Amino acid sequence: MSQPAEKRTVDMRTIGAWVEPGSRVLDLGCGRGQLLDYLIQTKEVVALGVDFDFAKVSECVRRGVTAYQGDLLDCMRAFPDGHFDRVICSRTLQELQGDPAAVVNEALRVGKSVTVGFINHAFWKNRIATLLHGRKVRNALDPRAWHESRPSNPLSVADFEDFCATQGITITRRAHLLGDWHSPCPFVPNLLAGYALYDLKR
Amino acid sequence: MSADPSPAPTAAPAAGEIGLVEARDFHSRQPFAFESGQTLPGFTLRYETYGELSPTRDNTILICHALSGDHHCAGQHAGDRKPGWWNNLIGPGKAVDTRRFFVVCANVLGGCVGSTGPSSVNPETGQPYGVAFPFVTIRDMVRSQKLLLDHLGVASLAAAIGGSMGGMQVLQWGIEYPLFTKRMLAMATTARESAQAIAFNEVGRQAIMQDPAWNRGDYPREGGPRVGLAIARMMAHITYLSDASMDRKFGRRKKDTADRTGNSFDVQFEVESYLRHQGQSFINRFDANSYLYITRALDQFDLAAAYGSLEQAFAPVLGETLVLGFTSDWLFPPEQNRAVALALLRAGKRASYAELDTDLGHDSFLLESPELYDLVRGFLERSEKRVSDFSI
Repeated sequence: MSQPAEKRTVDMRTIGAWVEPGSRVLDLGCGRGQLLDYLIQTKEVVALGVDFDFAKVSECVRRGVTAYQGDLLDCMRAFPDGHFDRVICSRTLQELQGDPAAVVNEALRVGKSVTVGFINHAFWKNRIATLLHGRKVRNALDPRAWHESRPSNPLSVADFEDFCATQGITITRRAHLLGDWHSPCPFVPNLLAGYALYDLKR
Repeated sequence: MSADPSPAPTAAPAAGEIGLVEARDFHSRQPFAFESGQTLPGFTLRYETYGELSPTRDNTILICHALSGDHHCAGQHAGDRKPGWWNNLIGPGKAVDTRRFFVVCANVLGGCVGSTGPSSVNPETGQPYGVAFPFVTIRDMVRSQKLLLDHLGVASLAAAIGGSMGGMQVLQWGIEYPLFTKRMLAMATTARESAQAIAFNEVGRQAIMQDPAWNRGDYPREGGPRVGLAIARMMAHITYLSDASMDRKFGRRKKDTADRTGNSFDVQFEVESYLRHQGQSFINRFDANSYLYITRALDQFDLAAAYGSLEQAFAPVLGETLVLGFTSDWLFPPEQNRAVALALLRAGKRASYAELDTDLGHDSFLLESPELYDLVRGFLERSEKRVSDFSI
């Protein structure tokens, strides 16, 4: 497996360890359904993915991952409070076109817990890319130049923790990973963590 | 299987095609009770099959047709220029692969293409039933086809597939026979028609019933309300298309024969000519009373009302459902397809919703689209065994 591909599976390992066996999981921005497929096989979760892209939903169906093509908020609004044991929002927040706070809050309504994973934009290498080289940040997930990539709304560990505090969201678990997206980051995560994962509760 | 002489070399099917097919008739001799409470002493369903039933008898795919469709969904009838209506989807190596699946499609009860319906002769009177025929529901269509599948020795359905009214039947299959129906693929459908869809059906019915030749449903086989039926079809056909697709197909182009001044009510625009042709060809293959009965069945279909709520309706479902909506479908719009998938999910069922971006309107489910084929193939051919390669 190439290094970028390995880095892309970072959420599988960590989220896989957090997910309770047999739980009901909603994956916002499920892509081709790899994470849910993994969770179905290793944790026997009852899974639903959401994505706006037909080809991705089609690939989910082919894999046996049930998926809904459409808007994340529209989908969540169709479910009662606490319908899902866990809502996963892995590398989705920074790409939302609308209102990220609304998505997180709606996820906290339909999910008993919410797992969020994102690339820490304040990671030192990302700071250097911007400050020293004056360039758009590129990484394993988004290696493309600005004109080839989707619009993004980069956030950092500090940004996200501030957000949770102001919204009254309880952080029940954190995983800060170094630039290899594998080894734990013991201190100064806003500077040293390349990737961050959070478990949230209302 | 049979001792028939081999067909002439010219009849050999082209690669990827089913080739020549023939319809057969299934006669049920047991009394059939309609939901309305009325009964028939028995009934006939005309059907076609493609492919072979497997030794485990679990590889059947049932194709459910829409309002104006019939059992001839694939392959070619001897002497016909056109193949069956879903030939692009069904065949050896196609999305519904007849090398793998045993495909069955029957003309619905109440229809007029060989199955028992209002144009069939009432044995008690020796005359066509006309409006004395029992009212038919989507559930009656499904229950009658179950008898056909039992007769064919089908142990379970690998899938039921249908668009529009066919999609309604697919949903009803999952509810009525949950253990039997392993997968449901419903396209361009709804759990209940909107007022607008009912309104269009009512205009069609009125066109038929206001035609003096309808004569309260009592007309000879070759006669009847041909003008009314043609108008009903012309109007309904517009609802199956979209503004964009009509504009692309016809625009404001005029017929060569059109009067240059336009001061005439003869055909001027190509779209007029097209609709007139649709109406004329329809009256040669469809019975006006069947049109009344089947549109009534469409309008009456309401899963939420029939079972208390959509979630309750879907409570018995055991199979997996895939609902496919089309962005430009304004008859059974994406919203109504989405609502079906979401209700299944709320009821705790395995369901997916996909939406194809097309501009062909309601008839998009008949579209020749590799994306549609991939989705259908992926849904049908996935085995329950799991893969364990998580590389991306």
